[in-house]
Parts: sequence; C-alpha cells; structure tokens
Amino acid sequence: MAAEVHALDLVLVVLLVWLGWRALASADLFKAVVQFIVFGLLLSLAWVRLGAPDVALAEAAIGAGLAGALLLDTLARLGRDGAADETRPLGLTPARAGIALACLGLAGLLVASVLLLPESWRGLTGPALQQLGNSGVSNPVTATLLNYRGWDTLLEVGVLLLAVLGLWILDVEPPLPPPAPDPMLGLLLRILLPLAVVVAGYLLWVGAHAPGGAFQGAALLAAGGVLWHLARPLSLPATAPVRAAVVLGFAVFLGVGVAMAAFGGGFLSFPPAWAGALILLIETAAMLSIAVIMLGLFVGGRTGKAGE
Amino acid sequence: MSGGAWLIAVAAVPLAAAVAALLAGRRGAAAAGLLGSLLGTVAVLGLAAAVLDGGVQEVLMGGWAAPLGIALRADGLATAMLLMTAIVGSGIALYAWRYFGAAHATGAHESPAPPHDVRAGRPETTTDRPDWLFWPVWLLAWGALNALYLSGDLFNLYVTLELLGLAAVALVALAGAGAAAAALRYLLLALLGSMLYILGVELLYAAYQTLDLQQLRARVQPSLSAGLAAALMTTGLLVKTAVFPLHFWLPPAHGAAPAPVSAALSALVVKAGFYLLARLWLDLFGALPWQAGPVLLGVLGCGAVLWGGVQALRQQRLKPMIAYSTVAQLGYLLIALPLAGQGAGGAAAGALTAAVLLAASHAAAKASMFLCAGSLLAAYGHDRIAALAGFGARLPLTATAFALAALSLVGLPPTGGFVGKYLLVEAAVRAGAWGTVAVVLAGSLLSAMFLFHALSRAFVEGGEPPPGGAVPRAPTAPQLVSLALALLAVGLALVGGPLAALLATGVAP
Amino acid sequence: MSLALLYGLAGIVLVAMGLYAALVARHVLRRLLGLNVLGAGVFMMLVALASRAVDSAGRPDPVPHAMVLTGIVVAVSATALALALLRRMHRHDGSAQLPEDRAP
Repeated sequence: MAAEVHALDLVLVVLLVWLGWRALASADLFKAVVQFIVFGLLLSLAWVRLGAPDVALAEAAIGAGLAGALLLDTLARLGRDGAADETRPLGLTPARAGIALACLGLAGLLVASVLLLPESWRGLTGPALQQLGNSGVSNPVTATLLNYRGWDTLLEVGVLLLAVLGLWILDVEPPLPPPAPDPMLGLLLRILLPLAVVVAGYLLWVGAHAPGGAFQGAALLAAGGVLWHLARPLSLPATAPVRAAVVLGFAVFLGVGVAMAAFGGGFLSFPPAWAGALILLIETAAMLSIAVIMLGLFVGGRTGKAGE
Repeated sequence: MSGGAWLIAVAAVPLAAAVAALLAGRRGAAAAGLLGSLLGTVAVLGLAAAVLDGGVQEVLMGGWAAPLGIALRADGLATAMLLMTAIVGSGIALYAWRYFGAAHATGAHESPAPPHDVRAGRPETTTDRPDWLFWPVWLLAWGALNALYLSGDLFNLYVTLELLGLAAVALVALAGAGAAAAALRYLLLALLGSMLYILGVELLYAAYQTLDLQQLRARVQPSLSAGLAAALMTTGLLVKTAVFPLHFWLPPAHGAAPAPVSAALSALVVKAGFYLLARLWLDLFGALPWQAGPVLLGVLGCGAVLWGGVQALRQQRLKPMIAYSTVAQLGYLLIALPLAGQGAGGAAAGALTAAVLLAASHAAAKASMFLCAGSLLAAYGHDRIAALAGFGARLPLTATAFALAALSLVGLPPTGGFVGKYLLVEAAVRAGAWGTVAVVLAGSLLSAMFLFHALSRAFVEGGEPPPGGAVPRAPTAPQLVSLALALLAVGLALVGGPLAALLATGVAP
Repeated sequence: MSLALLYGLAGIVLVAMGLYAALVARHVLRRLLGLNVLGAGVFMMLVALASRAVDSAGRPDPVPHAMVLTGIVVAVSATALALALLRRMHRHDGSAQLPEDRAP
C-alpha cells in the first residue's frame, strides 16, 4: 500500500465529492439513488487505496449493494407521486443559509483538528498485531471483530436482529405488480446462485487469514436470495423456522460467550488453542443468520397468522 | 457469585431472555419476558450488593485489556441506574403482560385518530398486529440499557446507543400506522445524533489513541480536538435525550405509543442520555477546567423545565401532557449537572444524589402515570382530559396511583421527588445559583397546575357515557402495578442516605 | 500531501455535505441519503487516520477498520428500518415528508 498520493487518488476523491453532491442534490430521486450506489462503489475503491480491503468488501456488498437495493425498492413502492420532490431540493434560502454556514464552520474546525494531529501516530496497531498469535486468526480485522472486541460485534448482530423485528412489527405491505417473466433471469439464477453460495462460503473461510468474513459472506448470500426473489417472490414471515434462523447467530455468539464465562476463562474469552475453531463456529452461525436477516429486510415479511 | 459474575449476568440475562422470547413466539413470549425480568432483577441486586461491599466491579470482555478490548465497569452511578431500570422495567413488564393480552379482548386501540389507509380508503383492523413482538424488542432494549450503563468504552457506547435507539423506534411502531411519522422522526434524529457522537469519538481516538473512558480521563487535555469532540458528542446526546430545544420528537412519539411503551420510553430510555451526559462531563472531562459545558447544559435544563411545563398545560389529551412533563423533568436532571461538577465544591455529591434520586423517582412516577393513562384509555375509550370525569369513583386504584405519582412529580412530601428536589435546591443555594432555585420552584408550580387539573377530573360527578353503551372495564391487575410503581416513587424518599453511599463508590478523587 | 490527509479532507467535505442535506432536505429519502453520506464522511476520516499507523510490515491499525465495518452494518440496519417506516407513513398519510415539512 503506497503512502504517496497517485493521480488515481486525486481523481477518485474528486469523483467521490462530486457524486456525493449529485446524489444529494439531484431533483429526480431515482437518479440520486443511482448516483448514491455508484458513490458507494467508488467508496470501496477508496477503502482499498487506504489499505482496508475488509471494509471495501463490506462497503460494496452492504453499503452500496444492500442499501442501494433497499432504496430502489422503496422508490418503486412510493410511486411517481411519492418520489416527487422540489426542483432545487438543497437550494439556499435565508433560513438554510444559517445551516450551511454552520456546516462549513464545522468543516473548518475539523480541518484544523486534523492538521493539528501529531506526525507520528501509533494507534492500536502494536497491541493488536502483537496479540494476533493468541487470537486464533491471522487477519487483524477479524481478530478485532470476533475476539478483541467481540462484545461490540455481538451487539451489532443484535442491531441487525432488531431491524428485522421492527419490519415485522410494521404491517404487511401490498405486493408490487409482478414483473414480466424474463427468460434471462432464470438462466442467470442457475449460474449465479450456486456461485454466490460457494463464494460466500469461501469468504467466510478465508476471512480468518485474508480479507473477508461473516458479514461479507452474508451479504453475498442475501444477494443471491434477492435474485431468487426477483424471479420467484419470497416472503419471510415471523414463523418459527424463520425466527430461529434470524436469531441463530446472536444466540450462538451469546451462548459461546456465556459458556466461556461458565468454564473459567471469562465472558467471550477464547483459550488460544480453541480460538480459531470458536471464531469459525460463531462466524458460520452469524453468516447464516445475517443472510436471512438481510434478505428479510429486502423482501419484508407478512405477519398474518405467524408467531406460533 | 463474585462481583464479576453478577456483572456478566446483568449484561447477558436480558439478551438471553430476548432470544427465548423470540423463539417462543406468540404463546410463550410473555412468559420469557417475565422470567427474564425476574432473573435480570436478581442479577442487578446481586451486583449492587457486590458493589456496596467491594467497590467498583470491572470485567474485561474477552479477557483483553483496554484499550484493545472493552472493559465493563459497575460503579455507584451505573449500579443505581441499573437498579432503576430493572425494578421499574419489571413493573412495566407485569403491566404489559396483562395489557397486550387484554387488548385483543376489549378491542381498545390507542391511535389518536381511527387508523385508515389513505390509498385504500377503509379502516385497518388492529387485531393482526404482532403485539407479542413487544417482548423480544423490550428485552433487547433492556439489554442495551444494561450494556450502556456498564460500558467503559466510547465506541461500545455507540453500539449500545444504536441498539437502544432502534429498539425504541420499533416499540413506538407497535402503535400502528398512525405512529409511523413519529417513529420515523425519532429514527432520523437518532441516526443524526449517532453520527455526531461517532465523529466526536473519532477525534478523541485520533488525539489520545484510546477509546477507554478511564484512560481518556487520565490523558485528555484542553485542546481543539478535545473541545470539538466534547461539543459533537454532547450535541449528539442532546438530540437523543430530547433536551430542549431539540426535544420536539419526544411528545409525538411518547404520546402515540401504547401505554407500556410510553412508560418504558419516558421512564427508562431517555435516562440513558442523561447518564451519558453525566459520564461525559462529570467523569471523562471532569478533571478539565471547562465550566462552559455543564453550565450550558444547566441553562438548557432550565429552558426545558419552563417550556415543558408551559406546553404540558396546553395539552387537551392526557398522554401528550404526560410526555411534555417528561421533557420538563429531564430539565431538572440537567440542572443538577453543573452543580455536581468539581467547580461546586462540597455540594457536588449532594447534587449528584439529587439527580439520581430525581431520575429514579421520575422513572417510577412517570411509568405509573403512563400506565394509569393506559387504564383510563381502556375504561373511557379516549384520553381527553376534560371528558375523563369521575374516574375517582370508576377506577379508584388508578386514581390513587395517579395522585401519588403526581405528588412525586410535583415534589411534595413525602415522596422521592420531594427529597430529590430538596437536595437539588439545597445544592443550588450552596452554589449561589438563585436563578436555578427560581426555575425549580416555577417548574414545580407548573407541574402542580397541569397535574392537579388532570387529577381534579377524578372528583367530578358524572361524565359522558362511553360510546356504544357497554361499560368497558379496565382490568384490575394492571392497575395494581400502577399503584405499586406510584408507591415506589413515594418510598424512594427513604433511600436518600443509602443512595448517597452507593454513589460515592468509585468516584475518582 | 499524504494519502491520509487527502482522504481525511475528502471525508470532512462529505461530512459537511451530508449534514447539510440531512438537516435541510424535505423528502425523507433525501434526508436518509444525507445521513448515509455523512456516515461515509465520518468513516472515511477514521480509515484515513488508521492508514497513518502502519507497522513494519505495512499493516494499518485494525481497530478503526473494525469500527467502520460495524458502523456500516449499523447504518444500513437503521436505513432499512427507516425506509420501512417511510413506506408505512406514505401509505397512511399520503406524503413522503415529515408532517412539519409538508406544505400546509
């Protein structure tokens, strides 16, 4: 990873800022969302340039992919009148000028803070990489997510779970009119779905020693599910099997934590000899759950008579 | 069990109960919820005993020392908040068990207007709503609160805040489509607050290379980064805590939600923001010579007390009135912050005790009041204050509970609210903050006006017969819970001494 | 100018833009886009910061990376719930704007 600036970086930064502004200011929300998705993909490139490939994978799959799909789906359901907005949505009025000034002021203060930071900066690189041998994996980001700061990740899985619970609480939505049958879609599915499953499994496995992991794999699986849904609509109501699937990751993570506490080590303390296996166990359960959750966020659920 | 074991139990029990509730489905969720409340309360009591005996309890999650890992710490302040959440939360759970079970039977609904789908032009049915989902969501919210109070790591606090925020929004959504706008507003503001908070955390990490609260307290110096971080984090928390003038999302959200949800939100969820502001300004930045922050918060608190009181007076319906009362009561908590800082000298400990006692009394009294509102709604079919005539005779338990809760909120003896306000005024007098004293007294007067106006309806004769002819009954068991919580608010008058001793645990020299 | 500084400054610009849009936009979906761009800016500052702390093998500080990954997942979860609420509000009220933003 180079620390000097290439021409590519300058172009990337300019594009990012420009696309970001277009996404916010385009009067046509459909265009805005498409620009936002491209913005997300360019953002992944930025993460790669900054030496964060795990984040890049997650951004592409979740930040641009899943979020983009959700935004487009919502626009479709809002319809023409729902998606209409003013011609200059971010135009300056006297009232807004005050807010604009405040934002610029904040930016100025942030720039000053950033410039005042010390030249040499260690961060937590030292401790994190030193303990890597005891963490059970050799990818430092996976070690941080699943071992050093596993409690954060456990709660994060809880956040995902809550999102789908919230969706189930809201009432059933009327279905969109089915699209015209598309022969290409069937063919694409037959090729892409197995590929998605294999690559997701690979991402999960390789996350231990290279960029990848449960979240990225889950997003890929969910993408496969969304493709299926586009061809043959799915629904994920709050029936017992679906509930078990969405809670599995959280439950396994919590269960392992409590088991470690009960058998001497401490909550979420993995003995170095078993750490790798435990992390893989947690990540597998998490990947399956998160995939179902993400798919559920996209397809919605029907609560109906479910809940038994 | 050791203190550390109790701490882990406090963190893990609500989360485990949430898993059980979700798996149990419609039939078993309430049972999981009640069992979880019981076990969770036992865990907190165990932890409190350990803290009183052995001082601050600390557990390193995963065995990794901060700042690489996350430390959970239970000091006096955290333990007091945990106790408040567990006890009042259990009361709310008991009420909810009966409330959600009975709703299907009586068919009562709580939307301000009959819900209807604009496009379809026909009224929605409310019986399909998955009310049982209250249990897993509430248990996750409780788990988030516990994790928040115990957390010793700034980024971990962000994650717990998000968990809490989403859970609260999901709970508001239980009210149905009419509450969607209020819930959406709450969510957008919560997201904005979180982003500002993270920005602040980032600046602190960049400047001091740690996320751990204790380490930051030792390392932080007055600097542009620290100041900007403090401002950003405080603004983010102010948005999430509904402090005047950023409070506007709270009354619609708390007013529209079902009674146990309003109770949980007003009594417990908003306290998390106050706790974090206290942690930030009394602990993290407590050693710095920054007076402006706490003083500004105190000024905003004064504004909240007066504005919330005036707005509550103007409400025609009971639940929005109670919601505005929450805005006002949160103001008292903020008023205590500058008085509890290191600048106030010997009065500091008294001010902190006042704040926590007020928070706990408010939690009990406000929960009781919202639950009373739920019973009144069930009995009358509406919550228009002017038309709630004669509820003293129809619902004597509710009327008694309402009266006791009102006493505590106004701050009349012999309630916890009285002792709390007394301590607060005493601290203000010692600090020479006469304006603050005036505001507290004015606020109490305003509370008395709108609460006793509502209470006076109890003694009025007659009252319009409920629509439809049949006389709906509000079930007795939930009213007993309202009464119990109101009695708790009264009983808290006695805990001033032990509370001060608890809060003294773990205070940094 | 180092890589970290360039992307850090870009992140700050995104923060300002996203914050402005989130506060000023009237259509809820646009507010959400603003919040997401704000988030992108906040995360970019973090990752830029992390890229300054490399060890001898050139590996950066993993803790900010973990923070950003968590942040992305949390932000998308919240966005998903917000979109569901938006759809619900639109079906019920007929508008995709919050009540205080709608034309009287």
